Amino acid sequence: MMERRNFLSLGLGVLAASVVVPSTLSAVDYRKDKPKAWEQDKIDLALKEIFGTSETAEGKVKLKAPDIAENGAVIPVTVSAKAGTRVAILQDVNPQSLVAVFTVPKGGIVDYSVRIKMMKTGNVYAIVEDGGKLYKASKQVKVTIGGCGG
Amino acid sequence: MAKKTRIKAKLKKGVVTVKALASHEMLSHQEAERAKKEANWITYVVAKVNGNIVYEVSTSQFLSKNPYMKFQFQAEATGTKKGDKIEFTWVDLKGNTNTSTGKIK
Repeated sequence: MMERRNFLSLGLGVLAASVVVPSTLSAVDYRKDKPKAWEQDKIDLALKEIFGTSETAEGKVKLKAPDIAENGAVIPVTVSAKAGTRVAILQDVNPQSLVAVFTVPKGGIVDYSVRIKMMKTGNVYAIVEDGGKLYKASKQVKVTIGGCGG
Repeated sequence: MAKKTRIKAKLKKGVVTVKALASHEMLSHQEAERAKKEANWITYVVAKVNGNIVYEVSTSQFLSKNPYMKFQFQAEATGTKKGDKIEFTWVDLKGNTNTSTGKIK
């Protein structure tokens, strides 16, 4: 009985929302859909592959990463924003720039933490797509011991 | 092979916070060469509750070994209640997949 009530309210919620969100309701695997994105060694090119543009504005995105990473193989990174449809993490020192692309599902919250590898000192970039526009935040991370087996 | 993903999920004040620790070598091309093994890493992760996708990410070879992922989503918008099971699936470059479940407390 609880389920039926919840189910009903779910349906109403969907109707009431009526916000047009670019269809992120179906599973998207960017490795399959945009294979070229993973080969790009420049931030702008990777962005163009995934989002269709590399134009970004500052603001709206919060990027948390350590100032100094003792172990370049494990660098904790957190990206957060009040809203967003897609989120990407990139950096500019590894052979390819793109690290991860998140699709924010309905009910999703833009607050993602992952641990990444960086070959050496460089910048981590967080991109949040909101309302069709890209917002960027970046942070330099000093790496003492390289993280890609190098 | 003990490749289960360890999942901790908590529902508090309408927000579900999930911490997942996947078990995977995550060998980038460079590391694979040095170790004389084949490069392989998780390329795609999706988490679902009651069939609804609550988290989805496509990933590169630059995620750390045994990837740790933390994410949040709204309970009501996804129809999630305490006691529901969250299903965490990853796919890697070679096509292997692994699905593990955790309970939302």
